[in-house]
Amino acid sequence: MCDQTFLVNVFGSCDKCFKQRALRPVFKKSQQLSYCSMCAEIMATDGLHENQTLASLKSEAESLKGKLEEERAKLHDVELHQVAERVEALGQFVMKTRRTLKGHGNKVLCMDWCKDKRRIVSSSQDGKVIVWDSFTTNKEHAVTMPCTWVMACAYAPSGCAIACGGLDNKCSVYPLTFDKNENMAAKKKSVAMHTNYLSACSFTNSDMQILTASGDGTCALWDVESGQLLQSFHGHGADVLCLDLAPSETGNTFVSGGCDKKAMVWDMRSGQCVQAFETHESDINSVRYYPSGDAFASGSDDATCRLYDLRADREVAIYSKESIIFGASSVDFSLSGRLLFAGYNDYTINVWDVLKGSRVSILFGHENRVSTLRVSPDGTAFCSGSWDHTLRVWA
Amino acid sequence: MDWHRGQRMKEGMSNNSTTSISQARKAVEQLKMEACMDRVKVSQAAADLLAYCEAHVREDPLIIPVPASENPFREKKFFCTIL
Repeated sequence: MCDQTFLVNVFGSCDKCFKQRALRPVFKKSQQLSYCSMCAEIMATDGLHENQTLASLKSEAESLKGKLEEERAKLHDVELHQVAERVEALGQFVMKTRRTLKGHGNKVLCMDWCKDKRRIVSSSQDGKVIVWDSFTTNKEHAVTMPCTWVMACAYAPSGCAIACGGLDNKCSVYPLTFDKNENMAAKKKSVAMHTNYLSACSFTNSDMQILTASGDGTCALWDVESGQLLQSFHGHGADVLCLDLAPSETGNTFVSGGCDKKAMVWDMRSGQCVQAFETHESDINSVRYYPSGDAFASGSDDATCRLYDLRADREVAIYSKESIIFGASSVDFSLSGRLLFAGYNDYTINVWDVLKGSRVSILFGHENRVSTLRVSPDGTAFCSGSWDHTLRVWA
Repeated sequence: MDWHRGQRMKEGMSNNSTTSISQARKAVEQLKMEACMDRVKVSQAAADLLAYCEAHVREDPLIIPVPASENPFREKKFFCTIL
């Protein structure tokens, strides 16, 4: 079973036995109650019919899965690339490295754009987190984390803070200040606490909340100011490696991908998983919503990227080639959603035509694995980070 | 992701019997919930994805490049600050 994120910030009277205990939330007939751990265990076996055993529950789960597949298959009347045949083919692409950001002393693991379409934050294996001006390639801020392998970093929507974390199992927020007398590390605020490494983090629509994903198999939503856990998301059977928030117009959901080969879509308010997709053959390293919010793409160690439509509730495209045998580490869409950029462990970036399913371009330049890739907020460029210690901005 | 595999839990751990019953019940509840979903046909979903693309492709600077003078990364301007 996955390690739990710390849920014990509620201590009070159990809704069942009324004793004063550490409480955890349980769902009984879709209603949320607070039970002590004893009553939660009893409830787990309560209400089981006479011949319901573990085996019968498992076979019920299998038959439900079978029925789900049948339902999904009924609606599979056509392939996306067939519908896309009437769409004009894309022309030749001329995309080159326009900027190279050098300065990290070790593998770049993660990066994020600021909403100002200019600044970039990146983090690396040696514990350094750097904020760059991508137009001039100057470094504006640098902070050294107390841990190595800073696998996640994110820019706050206001542009006034950054969040990062990794092997320290935490997500910390650093306010950005231009005052030369202030030490950035001094103002650090620890927000999230997991029981295993932090693999991904993202601010929600404001600077006030952060969503995190962890090697402990859970995702969690935190209040930045108080550090309080607002909601936790349990369901992955192994490390969660990535997450992405739905575009703001489409509501309060996010998608996560993990080492259990599953991509799961969550409702942020209830903590419930609303949809799950299990078609990849290996770890899912990266997930990204399609700009309309109706679909998402995933990149996996099985060397494929896939597109899942949320309303059809199924995988609708696979982006793969026999010649591509290395895992895809990160994916992102262009502004219109027509192009999918994917960084791979064979040092290349492949550009896919999302609708037709074909590769339109392959970009060379990095001298080691591409570990992270994001398109800029206005779509004019995209940035890739690599184990070769550099970041490249392509346009 | 083999570079931090040492810290990964194994998938097989979820088969341990101690919390299995509550897990199995949760799995069944979750699947029942997912089965109730309203789904659309792939043809409809695909048509909507196409429509979105077509509506926005003209504003996509990576497909229809804006003039070099408007793309700060493509223009050959030198960014210098006077110290």
